[in-house]
Amino acid sequence: MKDKKKIGVYICHCGGNISDYVDVEKVREAVSGDEIVFLSKTTMFACSDSNQRDMVEDIKEHNLDGVVVASCSPKLHLTTFRNVSERADLNKYTYVHANIREQASWAHSDNKMGATEKAIHLVKAAIAKAHYAEAQVAPKIKAEKRVAVVGAGVAGMKAALSLADKDCEVLLIEREPFVGGRVAQWDTLSTTTETGKEMTTRLYNELLKRDNITILTNSELIGNKGSVGNIELTVRKSPRYIKGNCHPEDLKRAIEVCPVEVPDEFNFRLSNRKAIYKNYPSEYPQTPVIDMKSCTRCGECEKVCSSIDLSEQAEELTFNVGSVLMATGFDSYTPAYGEFGYATSDNVITLPQFKRMIDTQEGKLIHKGKEVHNIAYIYCVGSRQEEGGNTYCSRNCCTSTIHAAVTAKEKFGKINNFHFNRGLRTYGKQELLYADSLRNGDIYLQSYEDGPPTVTPKGDKTIVKINDILTAGEELEVAADLVVLVTGMVPRADNKVGSLFKLPKGRDQFFNEVHMKLRPVETVIDGVTIAGACQGPKNIAESVNSALSASTKSFSIVSKGELETEPLIAVINDDKCTWCGACEEACPFDAILKTEKDGRTIAQINNSVCKGCGMCTPVCEPDAIDLIACSSAEIMSMIDALA
Amino acid sequence: MATINPAFGNELQKYGSVNFNACYNCGNCTAVCSLSTTENSFPREMVRLSALGLEEEIQASLKPWECYYCGECTTYCPQEANPGELMMSLRRYLTAKYDWTGLSGLLYKSLPVSIAAFILVFVGVMAFAMSVGFELETLLHVGHQFEMIAIGTIGMVILLPNIIRMWNFTILKPGVKVPFKKYMRSMGELFVHMFTQKRALGCDDNQKRWFEHLILVFGYLALLFTTVFLDWFSTTSLLVHVFGYVVSTVVFVVTIDFVSGRMKKNREVNKHSQPSDWFFVIWLFLMGFTAFVVRLFIDFDWLESNKWLYIVHFTVLAQWALLIVPFGKWTHFLYRSFALYFAKLKD
Repeated sequence: MKDKKKIGVYICHCGGNISDYVDVEKVREAVSGDEIVFLSKTTMFACSDSNQRDMVEDIKEHNLDGVVVASCSPKLHLTTFRNVSERADLNKYTYVHANIREQASWAHSDNKMGATEKAIHLVKAAIAKAHYAEAQVAPKIKAEKRVAVVGAGVAGMKAALSLADKDCEVLLIEREPFVGGRVAQWDTLSTTTETGKEMTTRLYNELLKRDNITILTNSELIGNKGSVGNIELTVRKSPRYIKGNCHPEDLKRAIEVCPVEVPDEFNFRLSNRKAIYKNYPSEYPQTPVIDMKSCTRCGECEKVCSSIDLSEQAEELTFNVGSVLMATGFDSYTPAYGEFGYATSDNVITLPQFKRMIDTQEGKLIHKGKEVHNIAYIYCVGSRQEEGGNTYCSRNCCTSTIHAAVTAKEKFGKINNFHFNRGLRTYGKQELLYADSLRNGDIYLQSYEDGPPTVTPKGDKTIVKINDILTAGEELEVAADLVVLVTGMVPRADNKVGSLFKLPKGRDQFFNEVHMKLRPVETVIDGVTIAGACQGPKNIAESVNSALSASTKSFSIVSKGELETEPLIAVINDDKCTWCGACEEACPFDAILKTEKDGRTIAQINNSVCKGCGMCTPVCEPDAIDLIACSSAEIMSMIDALA
Repeated sequence: MATINPAFGNELQKYGSVNFNACYNCGNCTAVCSLSTTENSFPREMVRLSALGLEEEIQASLKPWECYYCGECTTYCPQEANPGELMMSLRRYLTAKYDWTGLSGLLYKSLPVSIAAFILVFVGVMAFAMSVGFELETLLHVGHQFEMIAIGTIGMVILLPNIIRMWNFTILKPGVKVPFKKYMRSMGELFVHMFTQKRALGCDDNQKRWFEHLILVFGYLALLFTTVFLDWFSTTSLLVHVFGYVVSTVVFVVTIDFVSGRMKKNREVNKHSQPSDWFFVIWLFLMGFTAFVVRLFIDFDWLESNKWLYIVHFTVLAQWALLIVPFGKWTHFLYRSFALYFAKLKD
């Protein structure tokens, strides 16, 4: 406790909100006797400009050490009065707030005597705290001016470019052998004339132009140490087994002679590829890769191509970065066995498969050897499901389906499209695409969640039936040659990278932001931002928007080379600590580390990660942890004052 | 259970439908329609049935006839799907379906066929005129006889069977049970609608068009009666004589307004004229006008030296009676009245 501390106390009427029930003058009298209270005043509106000015004058004139305002909730005006203190050249942490409106006058409007008494106690408790309130300075830590972008899809590549252009070093880490993510799998894209492949190529060429971007393909993030500002990442870079500068003809022959065939994930298992492969000719990086999981090491390729080296080894690399930007994308929903005939009926495929079919076929649209004329699209498969399934809307699938339907009709001619939907969500400019499809003669049939269409094979056709709510619930049917299940986006099944950073997930199991509206790309893990569809279903435009936003946020963390951290955090009393580990368990932010000091094992707070939440203090048996500005002594003195 | 047939849209296009596929089922058309009711709502329902190609249900429906085409639905359609013109096209389509000869469909769908048919009738008239050596007396006499025979034959051979087919599509096939008494009691409905089109007064701001239509119907029927049964061209009665002038004037004056409206495209109803619409109004005009001029020429004794005039009139008459009345837009007058009668039976 400091001696000779001088504080000012201001009791607010709140224009009657408080003073109608609480006798503010009586409160003032009751607290004015405290040894550190130098002056005490009542005021009609403490938050008014005139009172704020008076407070500044009082503080300066009387050299006050701190201020207590007894008014409304600190949620409303804590910052206001902290700012008043700062304007009067006081440290803002010397300010203490007492809430006598929500906690006294409003809560006890039926008992004025009681309300007044409670208000007196609340203000006394605040004054008790003011005895301890000290100036605090935000500590600064070094921030590495380098950002790791995880995932080189369209979001990751755009984020990398944006960071590079802010003069920030970028580490772009891609687990797959090639960049482009999902977008590289698409041919024409909706509401633009560019193809996914062209878009990927364009972005990749831009990446190559910037020498402050390091691209790591075939590389997986496997280690994460440290915290915001200084994060140490370990990356395992798998070899391609092909050394640079090999002759393209040799490589072509190597692919020809490879005897291994495995289902091609790039084409959603519609076709097969070799163990040595490249997904499409203009793919980046241009060197093919050998998929060691399926390679039998028969050596046939080595015989025809001298650049192949099956003895290449994986390397582990470490990097220090200030911030990590996650752009790990999504998986397409895989329907359950038998869901709308999936896997049980020959004619049933998913939307991503259908899009690959359109892309890879010419002239006629053929499925399983038969020409396709009637296509039934069943919407919201794996989206907007009942509780227990994926209840969310995948946002992009309506537009994507209509775009595929329009493209198929344009490319193959004699196609009839039947859309079995549950209400269309082609929002914004995408509505134009819907209009195009209607004018094309596409037919839309609609049902509610509880009456989905049924799919029944009949000969070489598949009958899709619906009670169409647009035709007064009449039962209608289509004999489809192909049924396309419009599958939505789901979080990546492989969440290794998420677990590595302990990234929290939202209700829909995608990575979660801190605040949907105001902090849309930050996570509760300091220094880790999220972009693109790893956060939830997004189309390309939305992914890029979030990528640009996340890159700016990540950059703002590292841009100054140092970071200010929250001063109100936990501190360890080294002498008292006996390291039982209870605090480490209780900490939701991984801010407590086990450390050795003077031959003893004790806990240490990682100041840059601690958020001052206080979860560790009650579990500490020897009472070795205190929260700055909420120390045990402070809290006890407040409780004494309230008693 | 009904199977969707998207190809129907192409078929309907041949009957003049415009862009109805653009419909996204908002229902604005039905909401603004002043004739649509909760129990009996259109045109969205018909747009939907057309998009799905549910022909059986369309053929069983009387709704296309219950619309008098004010065009409000088209004005307020946010998708510019033109429901008003769709209803018109459905009327043409239904006319073709009711017609057992199939000629209606041919004429509606193909302008060349229509033109060929009109030329054929003209050639027939010329051939006949030549065969009687262009003798005016015979021409006038046969012309008059032709009118009487044509009315009877077309009525019995084409129109009556077609009405029965319409009854079959809309009452019998859908399984509507109507007691015989009701047929009799509802008969009034048929005549009221046939002669007054009173339902059209329910359309917003339609009084002028309704009134024009009303006097045209009476003018036309009166002209028919005057020429056929009162033998206007040979009459000695002054009353009949003057009456003929009045009614033929009514016919061609009102039709001038109709034709000019279609040329100006001044209202929604006039914006998408099909050949059948043009034939109807123009031939009606020609009927009134040539009849008027023929009688004038007779009065002034000029006809003998201007026999071509009567041949023109005869040709117009024959084309009207052999093409437009049995297979063209004239039938709408009949089907619409029967539709409202059948609708009453279904009530």
